[in-house]
Amino acid sequence: MKRSFSGILIICLVLAQSLAAATPATEMKKSVVRITMTEQEPNYKVPWAPGSTASGVGAGFVIETHNGQRVMTNAHVVSNSRFLSVSKENDPKQYIAHVEFVGHDCDLAVLKIDEAGFFKGTVPLQFGGLPEIESAVSVYGYPIGGERMSVTNGVISRIDFQLYTHSGVDAHLTIQTSAAINPGNSGGPVLQEGKVVGVAFQGYSGDVAQNVGYMIPVPVVQRFLKDISHGSYGRYMDLSISTFKLQNPAMRRALGLVDDDHGVMVSSVAKEGSSDGVLKQGDVLLEIDGHSIASDSFVDLDGEHVQMEEIVERKFKGDEVRFKLLRNKQQMEVTVKLDKAFPYLIQANTYDVSPRYVLFGGLLFQPLGHDFYEAFQPEDLRVRFFYDFYVSDQLYVDHPEVIILSTMLPDPINTYLGEFRNGIVDEINGVKIRTLKDVSEALHKTSQYYVIKVLGTGRPIVLESSAVEPARARILQRYNVSKEENLSE
Amino acid sequence: MRFTFLLPLLCCFVMAQSAPADPASKAGAEKKMSIVRVNVTDQAWDFIRPWIKRTQFTRRAVGVVLAGNRVLVSAELVANSSYVELEKAGGGEKAAASVELVDYEANLALIKTTDDKFMSALKPMELTDSSVGDHVAIWQLENTGALLSTSAIVTTIEVQRYPIDDTALLVYRLATSLQYRENSFVVPAVRDDKLTGLLMRYDPRTQSADTIPAPVINHFLKDAAGKSYAGFPKAGMDYTGMRDPQLRHYAGLNGDSAGGVYITSVHKESPAGKAGVCAGDVLVAVNGQQVDRDGNYVDSQYGKISLSHLTSTKAYVGDKAKLSIIRDGKSLDVEITLAHRAVADYVIEPYIIDRAPRYYVLGGLVLQELSRQYLKEWGAEWMKKAPERFVYYDRFQSDLFQDRRKKIIILSMVLPSENTIGYEDLGNLVVTKINDVPLNSFADIEQALQKPVDGFHKIEFEENPRVIYLDAKKTEESIPALKQNYGLRSLMRLE
Repeated sequence: MKRSFSGILIICLVLAQSLAAATPATEMKKSVVRITMTEQEPNYKVPWAPGSTASGVGAGFVIETHNGQRVMTNAHVVSNSRFLSVSKENDPKQYIAHVEFVGHDCDLAVLKIDEAGFFKGTVPLQFGGLPEIESAVSVYGYPIGGERMSVTNGVISRIDFQLYTHSGVDAHLTIQTSAAINPGNSGGPVLQEGKVVGVAFQGYSGDVAQNVGYMIPVPVVQRFLKDISHGSYGRYMDLSISTFKLQNPAMRRALGLVDDDHGVMVSSVAKEGSSDGVLKQGDVLLEIDGHSIASDSFVDLDGEHVQMEEIVERKFKGDEVRFKLLRNKQQMEVTVKLDKAFPYLIQANTYDVSPRYVLFGGLLFQPLGHDFYEAFQPEDLRVRFFYDFYVSDQLYVDHPEVIILSTMLPDPINTYLGEFRNGIVDEINGVKIRTLKDVSEALHKTSQYYVIKVLGTGRPIVLESSAVEPARARILQRYNVSKEENLSE
Repeated sequence: MRFTFLLPLLCCFVMAQSAPADPASKAGAEKKMSIVRVNVTDQAWDFIRPWIKRTQFTRRAVGVVLAGNRVLVSAELVANSSYVELEKAGGGEKAAASVELVDYEANLALIKTTDDKFMSALKPMELTDSSVGDHVAIWQLENTGALLSTSAIVTTIEVQRYPIDDTALLVYRLATSLQYRENSFVVPAVRDDKLTGLLMRYDPRTQSADTIPAPVINHFLKDAAGKSYAGFPKAGMDYTGMRDPQLRHYAGLNGDSAGGVYITSVHKESPAGKAGVCAGDVLVAVNGQQVDRDGNYVDSQYGKISLSHLTSTKAYVGDKAKLSIIRDGKSLDVEITLAHRAVADYVIEPYIIDRAPRYYVLGGLVLQELSRQYLKEWGAEWMKKAPERFVYYDRFQSDLFQDRRKKIIILSMVLPSENTIGYEDLGNLVVTKINDVPLNSFADIEQALQKPVDGFHKIEFEENPRVIYLDAKKTEESIPALKQNYGLRSLMRLE
């Protein structure tokens, strides 16, 4: 089980061996900061309420951005924050900070400090490249065990794709180190020869694995910095395809390939994704941007052996990916324009948003999403199926949002409707429901009856407008609901 | 709440208070002659490895001797039986026996032996119905052969789910405190020395026992006496209650006096569907019996009970039933002809018992039919633990599949071989086509394999990887090695 470190930590210090041209260790220490945050997490079961507050501590370090000096940290250190302050080692002052840019899919954030004096005496840290396996690194931060800065040492253990647990759905290049990374290290720099080679961000709890800590490597950080230099952060773009390794000799021959361990098969192309209409199921991908693709989907890139997704990872919205492929045994070249993120966000954690809902006659309608799912933990088989197979069965085509009748605030108007809890809304007054906005619009049109059809139940929910009107005000008052709907995040 | 099946349960002698008819000593000798021990060795097929049977095990129960030298037990007892024997309560005399008739939905079976001498000393028992409040005795046998009788009271008579989930029939619920004994997988409930029910499950926590009641047993026996056994009928529709006044107004029901239930789904091939009953109709009466807003009617014998009793336990296949419905505010009567839904008429069969699972090992790919029996290999929590797509297909099969005779073919797992390099991790995928031939039944597999495409078998799935290929010739050549390597006697079972 993977757990992201919540909360805490930071910093850096370059330690160790040599230090060629880089900043001296004593100077770098001053650039490591401790971040204290107060967050407010929404309650999806009471979506109109502001949520409860909690606080945490993390780390950050000074960098130079296109806007000047800033503090870099993890997105999860500052998510849902209501108040942020940073402090430096040997300086008692608390400086107020604001999130300037945040990338939840890559777990990085940049903070702006109001007071210009904060950066006095700090030196923006420089970034290195991908470190060598087995080379030594030092991790700086404020992990559990004390108040002051801590440093741990280790080596680079592995470089591979890993799930980023902050969003829960994104996988990017990640570096594994044997240096201890503990809660409170989050957002702190990992240094080698005076340069930052990673941002510490997640690991396993001690009863699962030992000496397995993860950092976000420089290519991911640089991509984030480049993206925000345009003034805002966009999501990672995605090919939105599934591939199948072509290791079976008969399959290779059937697809017209020779026995050279190259090529992967496109097993599905997500509708409405970037590759829709360009790549086809059954295509055999041979080269991506001129890099030969091995049958296990790896490519050689800048001297590294990485999954072919890494090539796409480094691109931005609007960029293109060239493929050489075999379609019906004919070799051809196609170009995919990266203009869409993968339509899988239903399963992603969300941050810095307020829950969306419509409340009508005590019936609470909410879009299905990860935070909703965690809050309600629905056992209903249909809801679970829609959640788990949303992408693979392309349920998003008919349901850009899956609208759930999540609960009822009991009132005479809905007292016979208990069986509909967890129902997926299909239609209201004859209008197909595709988004939460559709729900709001359908219920705002005056009608003698509001007839709500829920998937899989033969009988509709019927609300009489003569009964529902007085009930609406009554319910708002009785349950202390501030407003009947929130359609925007 | 579902009950646990009455495993070995047994009994005790409740004394005292209750029932005048109780004392075992008085009628003891006579009673013993109406019950026998039934020892059954069951051996079920392994649906994950469909070429083998599981370890056999023996269960012991108490059977009831009926007229015609037959012994009545529950169907669960004889499910997948390899060997059945009868044993006298005292003395240990035994006779080999066989299952004459079994209905897994009604959970009843008749056992017969050719040993006439064994049966001649036994006295058949008659049946009697019971009512709520009746005192009955539950009979079990001690190891010595002595009769143990526990008193019980009939607390509830209602329509309840039977072990095969799709079946709901009349049940007597008894309040009783049974002690554990061996030999009690099935035991009879008796009133006035007549059989009134067979216990099918007992919940020691609530001390309640669900009993297959005499009316269901009589239905089974009457049907068994006919030319061919037809089973219990179903109307083939689902409904929900109509207490909600807003729904009643919307459905055109005026006034507050009427009852009626809302029909939520009707399968087109079911008796109700063939007669034109539609989802959205309001059912107000069955055979002239008024249906209330919860779907109950007032039975002359049992009082308020589910309307489905009228079209199941109380009716026979081929009987007509008159449904009075309201559609678009107008009343009309529809006559339906009741029919039994055969297990083969399910896309995902609710049970496969006494029949070996079909399978086809194609070069190491194991192909099977999706069935609930397969899903139940994931244990008691199968609805949460079995592959979610399959559980979803099973639960919503009537919504998802129009042709209910279609079957779903799955790749259940891969036995790694040189044909399947790179496919080892595939499993629990729905196979849609082989060699471009759509698969709608297991028999389609063999036909499809006759026509390889360019020397390859092309196998398509509903999910990723969507398609894989096998070399047709090498697949054929690998049969002996595959058999030998995995110890399979045959690579297929088509029937």
